[in-house]
Amino acid sequence: MDDRPHKAHRPAQSGAKAEKKDKGKGKEKQKGFNEKAFAPKSGRRADRQGRRTAERDQTRLHVPLVNRTPDDEPPPVIVAIVGPPGVGKTTLLKSLVRRYAKQTLNDVKGPVTVVSGKKRRLTFIECNNDLNSMIDIGKIADLVLLMIDGSFGFEMETFEFLNILQSHGFPKVIGILTHLDLIKKAATLRDTKKALKKRFWTEIYQGAKLFYLSGVLNGRYPDTEIMNLSRFVSVMKFRPLVFRNSHSYILADRLEDLTPRELVRTSKNKCDRTVTVYGYVRGTNLRMGTRVHIPGVGDLEMKSVTVLGDPCPMPDADSEKRRKLSEKKKLIIHAPMSDVGGVMYDKDAVWVNVPGSFTRGNTDIRQGEGEQMVMDLQDVGSTLEDAVAKSQIRLLGTSSKNLTVPNEDNVDMGDEDSDDLDLESLAGSDMEDDDSGIDSDPGDAEEGDDEDRTQDPRSTGRSSHRSGARTLPSSSKKQRNDIEYAESDSDLGDNDEDLDIGGRRVRFGEDDDHDIPSDEGEGEEEEEEEEEGDDGAVPRWKKNLAERAQSSFASSRKSRRKDWTKLIYATSLTPAEILQGEQEEGSGATEVEMDEEDFFQIKRTADAGQDEVLDQSKEALSAEELKKWEDEEMLESIRHLFITGDDNAAGDGEDGNEEGGAFGEEEDGDDSQDDEEGSAAADPEAARAAALAAKKEALKRKFDEQYDDPESSKLDFYEEKKDEMARQLALNRAEFEGIDAEARALVEGYRPGQYVRIELTDVPCELIENFDPSYPIVVGGLLPAEERFGFVQVRIKRHRWYARTLKNNDPLILSVGWRRFQTVPIYSLDDHSIRMRMLKYTPEHMHCYATFYGPVSLPNTGFCAFNSLSGETPGFRVSATGVVLDIDRSVKIVKKVKLTGVPYKIFKNTAFVKDMFNSALEVVKFEGANIRTVSGIRGQIKKAMPKPDGAFRATFEDKVLKSDIIFLRAWYSVQPRKFYNPVTSLLLSDKAHWTGMRLTGQVRRDEGLKTPLNVNSTYKRIERPPRRFNPLVVPKKLQASLPYASKPKLMAPQRAQTYLQKRAVVMEPEEKKAVALLQQIRALRKNQVARRKEKKDEKKVERQKKLAKEEAVKGEKEKEKRKEYMRVAGQKTKRAAEIEEGGGRSKRRKT
Amino acid sequence: MSSLLQFSGHQHLRHRLVLSILSGKHVRIDKIRSDDKNPGLRDFEISLLRLLEKVTNGTIIEISVTGTAILLKPGIISGGALSHDCPLSRSIGYFLEPIVMLAPFAKTPLQLTLRGITTDEHDLSVDLFRTVTLPHLQLFGISDGLELRIKKRGAPPEGGGEVQLLCPIVKQVKTLNFVDPGKIKRIRGVAHAVRVNPQFSNRMIESSRSILNRYIPDIYLYSDVYKGDESGKSPGYALSLLAESTTSAIHCSEAIFKPGVAPEDIGLEAARALMAEVNLGGCVDRKHQIPVLLMMVLGSEDVGRCLMSEPTPRTIQFLRDVKQFFGTSFKIVAAEPGSSQLLYSCYGTGYVNANRTLA
Repeated sequence: MDDRPHKAHRPAQSGAKAEKKDKGKGKEKQKGFNEKAFAPKSGRRADRQGRRTAERDQTRLHVPLVNRTPDDEPPPVIVAIVGPPGVGKTTLLKSLVRRYAKQTLNDVKGPVTVVSGKKRRLTFIECNNDLNSMIDIGKIADLVLLMIDGSFGFEMETFEFLNILQSHGFPKVIGILTHLDLIKKAATLRDTKKALKKRFWTEIYQGAKLFYLSGVLNGRYPDTEIMNLSRFVSVMKFRPLVFRNSHSYILADRLEDLTPRELVRTSKNKCDRTVTVYGYVRGTNLRMGTRVHIPGVGDLEMKSVTVLGDPCPMPDADSEKRRKLSEKKKLIIHAPMSDVGGVMYDKDAVWVNVPGSFTRGNTDIRQGEGEQMVMDLQDVGSTLEDAVAKSQIRLLGTSSKNLTVPNEDNVDMGDEDSDDLDLESLAGSDMEDDDSGIDSDPGDAEEGDDEDRTQDPRSTGRSSHRSGARTLPSSSKKQRNDIEYAESDSDLGDNDEDLDIGGRRVRFGEDDDHDIPSDEGEGEEEEEEEEEGDDGAVPRWKKNLAERAQSSFASSRKSRRKDWTKLIYATSLTPAEILQGEQEEGSGATEVEMDEEDFFQIKRTADAGQDEVLDQSKEALSAEELKKWEDEEMLESIRHLFITGDDNAAGDGEDGNEEGGAFGEEEDGDDSQDDEEGSAAADPEAARAAALAAKKEALKRKFDEQYDDPESSKLDFYEEKKDEMARQLALNRAEFEGIDAEARALVEGYRPGQYVRIELTDVPCELIENFDPSYPIVVGGLLPAEERFGFVQVRIKRHRWYARTLKNNDPLILSVGWRRFQTVPIYSLDDHSIRMRMLKYTPEHMHCYATFYGPVSLPNTGFCAFNSLSGETPGFRVSATGVVLDIDRSVKIVKKVKLTGVPYKIFKNTAFVKDMFNSALEVVKFEGANIRTVSGIRGQIKKAMPKPDGAFRATFEDKVLKSDIIFLRAWYSVQPRKFYNPVTSLLLSDKAHWTGMRLTGQVRRDEGLKTPLNVNSTYKRIERPPRRFNPLVVPKKLQASLPYASKPKLMAPQRAQTYLQKRAVVMEPEEKKAVALLQQIRALRKNQVARRKEKKDEKKVERQKKLAKEEAVKGEKEKEKRKEYMRVAGQKTKRAAEIEEGGGRSKRRKT
Repeated sequence: MSSLLQFSGHQHLRHRLVLSILSGKHVRIDKIRSDDKNPGLRDFEISLLRLLEKVTNGTIIEISVTGTAILLKPGIISGGALSHDCPLSRSIGYFLEPIVMLAPFAKTPLQLTLRGITTDEHDLSVDLFRTVTLPHLQLFGISDGLELRIKKRGAPPEGGGEVQLLCPIVKQVKTLNFVDPGKIKRIRGVAHAVRVNPQFSNRMIESSRSILNRYIPDIYLYSDVYKGDESGKSPGYALSLLAESTTSAIHCSEAIFKPGVAPEDIGLEAARALMAEVNLGGCVDRKHQIPVLLMMVLGSEDVGRCLMSEPTPRTIQFLRDVKQFFGTSFKIVAAEPGSSQLLYSCYGTGYVNANRTLA
C-alpha cells in the first residue's frame, strides 16, 4: 500500500478554480513594487515627469477664499432654472419639488424652498425670459439649471445669459437638454447630443455636466431622470464668489405692504409705501444702518430688520442621527407666493384652502395650526374695540390701579412686575431707549401673543402659518402698544445680568487696584426695597422722587461700570459722566465725601469742562496722578509688568499692600468682602497653576511635533493661509456665541442663514401696484462706498457677437454690482501714458476705457452692458463687458482740437499768421505754444499783432511757404454727462418693456434727421496737379554786372552728330569672319530656344486639359454634397415651422 | 443721496470729519462755540479743513457766515505729494492724527509736508508720532514705506519745524487680534533741546533714568540734536518715552518744557507719566485708542479683538460716532473678571479702499 506512489495532483486547467489561480498569480506579480521598472529612463524624462507632477499639483490649488456662509446653518442654495420659453422650466421645477417635497404645485410663482438633505436646503426659482430677470437671477443664483431645447438647439437668450453670468462671477451651471423625444431617429439624436454637448463645453468648460431629459409623463419628467439630477444637485460644492462674499443679499420670497390703508386711500394709491420683504440672509452679515438696493426699484432705507423663525427649518438633532432624511422632514416646503399647502399669499390677503368641509364640529379632519387660527378668528364674539375696553393697562407696573377696571393677575402680570425692577434700577432717560429696542422684536411673537396668551411670547416656531396674520392691515396701534408692554421682558434679562454682575463685582473687588466698592449704594438699595415693601395708599412712584432718582442714579452708575457696551451705546450720558462715575469709585482717595450732592456734582464738572476742553489726544497730566508715582512703593508695585519682575506672588502681595496703604482709610471691615477676597486669592493660585500646566503641555506638544516630523509642522503658503482663515472663522463664531440675540445683531448684524423680515420705507407705490411674483425681487446690501456717486472709469470691450460699434456719448445700460442703470459713457484710450484721449467709437477687438457718471462700485467689479433690454431687439443684446478700474470725482479726458491759420507775411524764419484766433486776447493765452506747418516745419507763437484781429508773429525752424497751412494742436477736456437713469423695470406694469433714453441713431431715425455732415470732413478724391516751376530769369542788367563765375552760362543743346556717331568702320577679313561666325552661332541658339519653348507650351496645354477634367469630376461631387445638405436643412426648417404652428410657442431667434 | 448726519459742538471735530470722509456720509456740525465770546471755528480748525480739502478730491465744505456751522460733503481721498503750513495755535500733531487715519485709503501714496510746531503740550509730538503711532498702524498691515521724517524742529510759540509723512496705500487693513499685552522688555526715549543749552537733554535723560533704571536694563534714551536752521525759531526742550512689551504693545508718555521748571523735573515727569500709562495696561496706549479702534472697524468682515485700558472720554464719543457712521458697535467686556482692562471686540465692516486704482 505504502509503496504505491500517490497520484500526482492535476491542477484544473479550466473553470472557476483555474481562473482564480490565475488571478492570484497576477496579483502576486504585482505585489512587489519594482522601483526600477517605473524609474524614468533618462534624466530629461525624469525632469519632465517631475514638472508634470508639480504642474498638476498646482492646478489643484486655488486662491484661498474665506467662506462667510456659516457651515452649521447655511441659507438655502439658490437653484435657478433658466431657459427660453417653452423649454420646460416649470415642468422641471414641479418635478423637482415633487421629488423633494412630495407635493404637486399647480401654479408656481416666486421662489420655492425645500429641504433636500440633512445639511442642505434648496430654493428653486424660475427665471422668465426677460433680460432684466436674467440679470438679477445671474447675480444671486448659486446653481443654474440651464435648459436647452434639444430639438431646436441653443438660442440667443442662452448665450446672453451665459455672458451675464460671466461678468458677475460664474456660478455653477448644469445644462439640461429637453425635448429629446421629439427627435425620432436614433442617429440624429446621437449627433444632436454630441453637437450640443460640444458647444456647451466650449461655453462653460470642458467636461461641464449636461443632463438629458427625455419626455414628459403626467406633466412631469421621468422620476429616475429627476432623481439623478437631484443627486447631482445635492452633492454640488460651491466656491464663494468674490462679490457675494462681500455683500449681503436676500432673495425675497414674500412681500407685504404695511402702509396704512387710510393713507393709501386718501392719496389715491400714490403715496410711498412701507413694505416688508422676507427671505434668508445670504452672502455676508446684514447690518442695520446700511442701505439696500432692489434691482429694478432703487436704493431703499431699511427701517428695521427682524429675525423670524425659520419657515423651512433644517432637520434638527434627533433626525440628524439617521443616515437619511426622515420622510417627515421632506414634506417641508416654503413657497409663499405659490399656492403651496393651501395657503396663498396674495398682495394684501392670505387665502387658506381647507380640505373637506370647513365647518364647525367637523372633528374627524385634523386641524392644522393655521386652520385652528382661522377657526378661532371665527369664534371671536367681541370686536377689537371691546377687547381693548376690557383689557387692563397700567401706566406703571407699580401703580396700584389700572387705567380701566381692575383685573386679577395672570401670567403677564408677573412679567410686568419684573419690569418694575428694571424701571427702577435704570435711570429715567433709559426708558426711551428700551422702548425703541422693543420695536425690533420678532414680529411673530407680536401676533401670536394676541391670540393665545398662554403661549410664550418669545417662542418663534414655524411661522409660515401664523405669520399670515401680519398681512392683515389691522395691525392697529392699540395692538402694538399692548405688544410692546408684553415684549419688554427682554429687558428683564438684561436686568438680571446687571444684578448678577453687581454681585460678582463685590467678589472680585480686591483684584482691581483702585476699586473699593463702597457699600453705601447697596445699603440704599436695601432701604429702597424696604420702602417698596411698606408702601401704602400713596402711589409708590410718587414717594420721595428726588431721593430715589438720585440713589438710583448712584446705584445704576455702579452697576453700569461693568457693562461698558450698554453704557456707551444705550445711554445718553456724556462721556465725561460715564467716566466720572467710574473714577469716583476708582480713585476714591481723592474724594472721600460722596454723599447726597454727588449727583449734582457730576453735572457741575461736566458743565465746567465743556468750555475749555481742547480737542486733544494727549491728556493733560494731572499733578495728583504724578504725585502718586513719587512713592517708592507705588513704583515697586508695577514691577511685575516688566520682564525682569516676578509676575506671580509679588503682584498679589503688592496689590494687597497698596490697598492697605493708599486707601487704608476707605477700607472698613466688610466681612463678606474679605471672605470673597480669600476665595479669590485661592482661586488665582489654582488658575495660575492650571495656566502654567496648559502652557507646558502646549510647548511639549509643539516640541514633539517638531521632533517627530519636522516636515509636517512646516506648512506651505497655501495651507498656512487656509489655516489662518479657519482660525479667524472659528474666532468669529466663538466671540459672540454667548450673548443674547439682540445684542449680537447690534454688534455683528444678521448672519447668513437667518430668515429675516426687512421693513423698507419710502418704496415707490408702483412696486406694489404692479407686483408680479414671477419677477425675482433681490434685496442687495450696499457697502458704504457704493451709496456714493462719482465718475467711474471702466475697462470695456465690445462683445464680439454684438453687431454694431458703440458710439461715444450714446446711452448705454450697464449692470454693475446690484444695479442696472442707463448712463452716458465717454470712451477713451490711453495715449502714450500722457493723456486719456477720447474715442468716437469703441475699437474693434480691443479693450478701451469708458468713463461715466453713476453710482460707485468697487474696483475689480465686473459688468456687462446693453444697448437695449427689450425682447424685440434682433440679434445679440450684450453689447459690451468689462471691469471697473477707478473711481474719482473728476476726469481728465481730452479730445484733439486743431486750430489752423495761414501766413500772410513771411520773412526768413519769421512769419505773420492770421485766421487762427479771433482776438489778441486769445493769442496771449497761447503765447509760446508750439505750432507746425503741414509740411512739418515746427515753430512757436511769439506775439499778437495789433492789426488784423487775432494775427500773430511766429518763428519757425525754416522758412515757411505762403501756401502752407499752419496749425496748432491743442487738447480740449471733455466731461461725461451726468446722466444716471436706473432701470426701474419692476415698477412697470409691463415689466419687459422698459424704455430709457434713446440712442442717437434711434433719435435721428424717429425724427427723420440726417447725420450732420461737415463738407470739409468728407473724403474726396485728392487731386494733386503737377507743380510747374518757372525758369529762373536773371535780368540782363544784373547779368551784366555779375562776375563771370556767377554769370548764368546758357548753352543751346547740340544738334549736330558727334564724331563717334558719324565715323565709318572698315573691318579686316579675319575680323569679318569672326563676326559672321558669332552671328551664326547666335542664330542657332535662338532657334533652339524657340523650339524648346514650343514643346513646353504643348505640354502645358496637355496638363491644363487633364486638370480641367479632374476639376469637373470634383465639382460634380461637391454639387451632390450641397444638394444633400440643403435637403436636410429644408426638412429642418419645415419641421420647425410645423412645431411652431402645432406647439403654439412664441417666436424664437435662431442662433 | 448719502444720508446726512448732524452733530453739534466743536468737540470731536477731527474724528467726525475723518469718519465722514471714510464713510462718505455727509456731515453737518453746528453750534460750534456758538455760546463763546469768540464764536465759530478757530484758525487751526479752518486750516485742518483746508488740509482735508487738499488731501481729497471733490470735497465740498460749506462754512456758515458766522462760522458756527459747517457742512462737509466728502469726496474721495486722493493723496499725492502735498504740503501744508500749520498755524501756530496748534502743533503738527493735531493735523497728523486725522491725516494718518485717512492716508492708507488714498488713491496714491501720500507724501505730506507739514510745517509748524513739532512739539507742544496739547497734541502728540512728532517724536511720539514717529515712534508710537506709526507702529500702531503697522499692526494693521500698513507698514511698507510708512515713515515720518522730522526735517526741522519747531518749538512753540514761533514754530518753524517741518516734517514729512510718507504713507503707503492698502487695499484692506488686516484684522487685529491683540489680546496679550506681554511684559515690558525695553524702554526707549528721545530727548531734544533746541536753541537752549544742549546739556538740557542730558539732564532730562539722567533724571528720568533715575526712575526707570530700577526696572529693566534695556533703556536707551537718545539725545536728538538739531542745529542751526533745523532747530526752528524758538527755544524749547522735551522728553518723550515709550515702553515696548514682548508682544510689541507700546505705551508712551511725554513731557515738555515749562517756564520755571528745571529739565530734571521734566525728565521725572515724563518717567512718572510713563509709569502711570504702563500701570493702566492694555495692548494699546491711551492716546492711540481712537486710531486703533477705527482700523478695527475698517477691517475685513471678521472679528477683531484688542485689549485696552478704559476708554477715554474722547474714545467713548468716538465709539458712539462710529456707530452712527458705520453702524458698527463694539463689545466691551472685562478681559477677565476683576481686571480693569477691557477687551474691545468688533465685527469689521469689510471696508475696502475704493479709491485705489486697478492696474
